[in-house]
Amino acid sequence: MATATKLGSATEKLTSLIGDKTRYDIAHEDLLATQIEAADEIFQDRLSRIRLLQNRAESGSVAAIRSLEDIVPVLFAHTTYKSYPETWLTEQRWDRLGKWLDTVSANRVAGVDLEGIGDFDQWLERLEAVGHFVSCSSGTTGKSAMMNATRGDLQFGSHDTATSVAWTTRVEPSHDRRVFALAPVARIPRNDAVKRALTGAYALPGVPLWDLPVPPITVGRITGMVALRKRIADGTAQPEDIARYEAESASRQAAIDSAVVVAAEQMVAARKDKMLIIGMWTALHKIAELVRAMGYSAKDFSPDNMIYVGGGLKGATLPVNYREYIYETFNIQAQRIHNFYGMQELNTTFPKCSAGRYHSAPWLIPLLLDDSGDNLIAPKKGEQEGRAAFFDLSLEGRWNGVISGDKIVIDYGPCTCGAHSPSIADTVTRYSDLAGGDKISCSGTIDAYVRGVA
Amino acid sequence: MNAILQDNSAEVREKPPVQAAYFVRGKLVAGDEVVHRSRDLGIDFAAPKIDLNAVIQPRAELPPMLDVPIAEIIDFLVETGERLDLDRNAYLQEALELVVETNPLPRRIVENLYRGARLYMSREFLEASIAANFAEPAALDGWIERTDAHGQKGAIRAFPPRILHMLAGNSPSGCVNSIAQGALVKAVNLFKMPSSDPFTTVAVLRTMADIDPEHPVVHSMSAVYWRGGDERIERTLYRPQYFDKIAAWGGGDAINNVIRYLGPGLELVSFNPKTSISMIGSEAFEADAPVDEIAERAASDATIFNQDACVASRFVYVEGDREGIERFCAKLAERLPVDRDTASIKAPLMPGNVREEIEMLEMTDECRLWGRPDGSGMVILTDEPVSFHPTGKTVNVVHLATLDDAIRYVNVATQTIGVYPDARKAVLRDRCASAGGQRVVRLGSARAHLLGNPHDAMYPLQRFVHWMSDEAI
Repeated sequence: MATATKLGSATEKLTSLIGDKTRYDIAHEDLLATQIEAADEIFQDRLSRIRLLQNRAESGSVAAIRSLEDIVPVLFAHTTYKSYPETWLTEQRWDRLGKWLDTVSANRVAGVDLEGIGDFDQWLERLEAVGHFVSCSSGTTGKSAMMNATRGDLQFGSHDTATSVAWTTRVEPSHDRRVFALAPVARIPRNDAVKRALTGAYALPGVPLWDLPVPPITVGRITGMVALRKRIADGTAQPEDIARYEAESASRQAAIDSAVVVAAEQMVAARKDKMLIIGMWTALHKIAELVRAMGYSAKDFSPDNMIYVGGGLKGATLPVNYREYIYETFNIQAQRIHNFYGMQELNTTFPKCSAGRYHSAPWLIPLLLDDSGDNLIAPKKGEQEGRAAFFDLSLEGRWNGVISGDKIVIDYGPCTCGAHSPSIADTVTRYSDLAGGDKISCSGTIDAYVRGVA
Repeated sequence: MNAILQDNSAEVREKPPVQAAYFVRGKLVAGDEVVHRSRDLGIDFAAPKIDLNAVIQPRAELPPMLDVPIAEIIDFLVETGERLDLDRNAYLQEALELVVETNPLPRRIVENLYRGARLYMSREFLEASIAANFAEPAALDGWIERTDAHGQKGAIRAFPPRILHMLAGNSPSGCVNSIAQGALVKAVNLFKMPSSDPFTTVAVLRTMADIDPEHPVVHSMSAVYWRGGDERIERTLYRPQYFDKIAAWGGGDAINNVIRYLGPGLELVSFNPKTSISMIGSEAFEADAPVDEIAERAASDATIFNQDACVASRFVYVEGDREGIERFCAKLAERLPVDRDTASIKAPLMPGNVREEIEMLEMTDECRLWGRPDGSGMVILTDEPVSFHPTGKTVNVVHLATLDDAIRYVNVATQTIGVYPDARKAVLRDRCASAGGQRVVRLGSARAHLLGNPHDAMYPLQRFVHWMSDEAI
């Protein structure tokens, strides 16, 4: 059911560069014609397959992609992937949710066994059984986005991760280290695939990935929280329901607290071996503190340790020097750090170079739009600021073009690190964070009456 | 299509900032030391630095209005109201020019709101408020003797409070009501103006000061702006040593900022964020029903302030004949793009994610649509309420088996429930109240108010005052 990319096509020419170690060295102008040709190949193929794309193409009068400007009217806003009515999720209307998913998918969401589904996680499993790997963003107060992907998408994405890590750290897949995954992240196909890929590339033979020993946070649990919030708002949640949920959350936090202690002990025990640490800042910082408290620091760890770290602080407050503190604890040299910019909407990430900029892969067309998301800002050498949009030529399970909620500064010219690909400055902000919280109005929603649930 | 992503936040406009003046305990304060940005339209305005000492009145001093009889205060407010005539009042005219820069409401609606605001300072309105809130209005003017069942004697007084008013930004005329409320309880008042209108309150207070700059009412009023959530100011001022009550319009972040500072002695009187709905019985959808009139009444309730008001209806729950309901939906959609006192032909666009959700409902055959998503008004007919919050003259007509089923969609945030036919009100009102609703009205009358009626299920003036007791036991 996956749409295998035709050999010899422009798309194939670009995606096959995943095997090329110099892929971030190709200049924008050298790729543009092929990228546009590839975008049109994909557009023509998806037009009859993604219903929402038909709507966009009609309203934007786009019949073919001949320029970057032609892409803009047919991009999907990132919010498209949360455009389902929330009640379908909270009331477990899997048939309707499936119909919705179908309109934003490239392959028909059909033949899903809906018998006896107990929760959202089971629905996702049934979808996987027929080739739909749906990743969800994990908004706990807001709606989760749902993005469909094929098995091929997951494979490509994890291949991209492993090879881009090799590009930033200059450590080739060497099967010479222990891999620690230290982020209590939601269990979604995409995250699992990344962990598997990095383990496959770097782990010592026969030594499995060491994962933080906490019960997995499933998307079903997250949506359960959203559903509870809705029931609280409706006035149908019973006090005991809320109390039970709060207690589960507390025990989950306790599990994380004890898991980081185990993690610190494991890392100290394995300190003589080389490591690849996969993590997010908050948990890593806590573990680093524990390791230091146990009396260990940089001198005890291998200078060849690598780290794969991303994500923001998600509201947590850490000391200003939290990054350095973590690097110094585990003896991680600057060239062994893999930071990246990415989003669930894309299959491809942007690794951070030695000059501190995020680089674009050749099969990814970065588009800079004005703040409204309506108009293209023409690519040029030198920095320009605006709303980030992308056309990821590697995606097969859903539409490739998406407008993000991020405000970025991009330079289509060569970077001081030496790579010639377009690069994004390390100053990404979210438009939603820029809006003020200063609006006072008597008109409101029930949300204002719902105290947060943990 | 992608206009849907419009964000007001990020754009920096290169324009000399407009100036907002303050009014501090009877005196106009001009200055441009601080530049602020309006929330809705992102317009910069310059304002004076706030002298925090000046905006509070030490508790060692008696409130200026304490010994002014309520009758005299009402006379003064009535005279102020008479001078709030947009055609003759230069302050209001000047404020209008500035408000249209910072507020998303169209100019003509702001004008209409200014013209309507005088009602809040009419004698009937003021006297009805006092009569409804206080069993013994004389307690506002002095100590009232009372004797309990055991023959013990004492006295009480509705003593003037110190009130911090957080004004709403959606209606530029709301401040007139708040100023009147503050004066009726003889309070020492600080008005925190909204960024979408840091002008009108000062214009009204200057109008008062022109009548008599030394009047105790004038000396009891201050109006300033700070950005909601500005800790430097809020952590300093929000203390029971300075204020008894915070009267707040609004919800979300605006209220969450305030709640942190509440405690013994500093109480919130919240004019909560609300939504409103309509309920229409099957009688309306019979072949000979006056569908034009019913649609017009529903449209009139749904479009108040272009639907950016607590009292504006967003969901219309209906029962009865499908064909009749669809006929009604079509008529309703025709009545939404109509120029009204408080509604324009086009309202601000609904957010992009809402437009997408509607598009998806249509693609999955879950709704029928009338109208266009361009601000002129839309009707969405579904079998259960949509998950989003309808704005920009968007009405979700929800077809239920019976209006009894609509009660489950009434909750603590439901303010006004417009009902048709009128007789159904009496049948529904107890259950609406139990579910948290606050007001049932005839369909089409959401904006009208009975003089002296409670607001948000309370009598606010009675809650504002400091009930002091002198017990001779």
